[in-house]
Amino acid sequence: MKVAAILLDTCRELLYRKTLWIYSGIVSLTLLFFLLALQTDVAGGVIASLKVFGLEGHASGGGFTLDSQQGGGSAGLTAASFVQGIQIAVAFVLYPLGIMLSVFATAGLVPSLLERGLIDLLLSKPVSRPMLFLSRFLGAVLVAAVNLIYLVGGLGLILGIKTGVWNPGFLLSGLAMALYFACLLGFVALFGVLFRSSAVSIMMTAVIFVASLIVRWPHQNADWPRLITGRAARFVAQGLVETLYHALPRTYDFGQIVAALILGRGTASLGAMLGSALAGGAALAVATYYFSRIDF
Amino acid sequence: MRALEGLDLRVPRGAVFGLLGPNGAGKTTLVKLLLGIAFPTAGRATVLGRPPGDIEAKARMGYLPENHRYPPHLTGEQALHYFGRLSGLRSPGRASRVDGMLRRVKLDAWRSARVRTYSKGMMQRLGMAQALLNDPELLILDEPTDGIDPIGRHEIRDILIEQAGRGTTIFLNSHLLSEVERLCTRVAILKDGLLVREGSVDELTRPTNVHEVTTRGLTPETLAALQSRIPGLSADVAGAEGGPRRLELRGGQEDLNRLIDLLRERNVEIAAVRQSRESLEDVFVKIVGEKAP
Repeated sequence: MKVAAILLDTCRELLYRKTLWIYSGIVSLTLLFFLLALQTDVAGGVIASLKVFGLEGHASGGGFTLDSQQGGGSAGLTAASFVQGIQIAVAFVLYPLGIMLSVFATAGLVPSLLERGLIDLLLSKPVSRPMLFLSRFLGAVLVAAVNLIYLVGGLGLILGIKTGVWNPGFLLSGLAMALYFACLLGFVALFGVLFRSSAVSIMMTAVIFVASLIVRWPHQNADWPRLITGRAARFVAQGLVETLYHALPRTYDFGQIVAALILGRGTASLGAMLGSALAGGAALAVATYYFSRIDF
Repeated sequence: MRALEGLDLRVPRGAVFGLLGPNGAGKTTLVKLLLGIAFPTAGRATVLGRPPGDIEAKARMGYLPENHRYPPHLTGEQALHYFGRLSGLRSPGRASRVDGMLRRVKLDAWRSARVRTYSKGMMQRLGMAQALLNDPELLILDEPTDGIDPIGRHEIRDILIEQAGRGTTIFLNSHLLSEVERLCTRVAILKDGLLVREGSVDELTRPTNVHEVTTRGLTPETLAALQSRIPGLSADVAGAEGGPRRLELRGGQEDLNRLIDLLRERNVEIAAVRQSRESLEDVFVKIVGEKAP
């Protein structure tokens, strides 16, 4: 009951801040677009005709054009490829946007929890500090996950009804993104409890995001240490890159995981997911420990 | 720097205990240590027989912090439900308890307004409501009447008197010494983290050698005659002729007896005789003003 109370309050606070309403609005518009504007006929698993706002879709070169000419079809484009294409496009636009807005919305959750006058009240209640902190974290993850589920569930359903193609990989990609957000939120929580400032939390999380993309290249390229001449400097630089790569959420890898899940190509990298989960979990554990030990 | 040092204090069950001290004396620190909001570097404390911060003990306590604030997105009613849930109150009993508390602190009409729209006095009353929600055995209040107008103060005092009548132990931190004097059965004074005085209000506020004598029918001529014979006698400003007049006598029992004899000889009616006591404020100012040895 106490956990449920904190979850409910966290959701209320996030809804009150309205940042996530912007994301829900964008997702709703996207879903409405596909619901109302897209018309398809599928025959034998192939797109026989396609209309967007009444304009006919025609295959041209490697892409699609929309015009008022009738007939022509979609040149053998399979419904599955069509659906996967839309899902990839939506995922690579709306997932990063969702993550960004979720970070903005949730960055203030820990600093607001720590405000004088409120934290004294909360800690005077029969709730343990870890329960208070982790329930708040869980509430933020739930709200972000609900937004992602709204997107993938809604779009998957609309495209499934219109084309007959049901892609479970798209749903899984939404869950993968929720996991990525949870990993990132572990760092948001850590910065929140250390600096007690939403702005600093957002900035530091942006640094984490960019750093996680940057260190991936030297991690993947065995030749890069040759660029550094000094042996000690090379050792330090290599150590730093590997430490950062393993200590941060693996943003680039998650992008690949999302693509692999949607396209059904190969298997998603469990190692990257596990590594990111461990990194986020470690950040959250440090944040929880620190929160449990500080004087207010 | 040590916030508290060598503090040895026991608050008996059922007492209304006042903790006094100037700013920075360590009052709030002590409360935070008792609740597990801050951690001691050394020493031992128990609250309701349990260590500070113990979940089971906290379920039996209510706390109103100084400058408390509530999540601005909640209404008064939602805030009480939230803190009620955290205190372990279950529905449907919680709903009736919240309703009752809102009525008791006179916020019933504001239950659906967001707390960010509340005035300071309303916030303080909401704070009292959340502190009393779980019907605590121990109520800890840090400046409960801070920033409240006299009527609001009176209402909060009534609530505390009622709560004390139910057997709740009340631990009160306050700058308002008159409030403490009226409410508390025992008082402790902290200064620079040290306990400098502890006892009942009667023990701390000793009788003085000043007596107040209220008279009726005292003429200016009689007063002048009395003052010529008793040096420590003064009087308030004269009111209507033949009306009550308050005399103040600085002296011992012998002087008082002499004054009473003289008043009776002159057929002046004696309405009341009262020996003055030091107020808690006098005691506090004296103690706090003393230089550390």
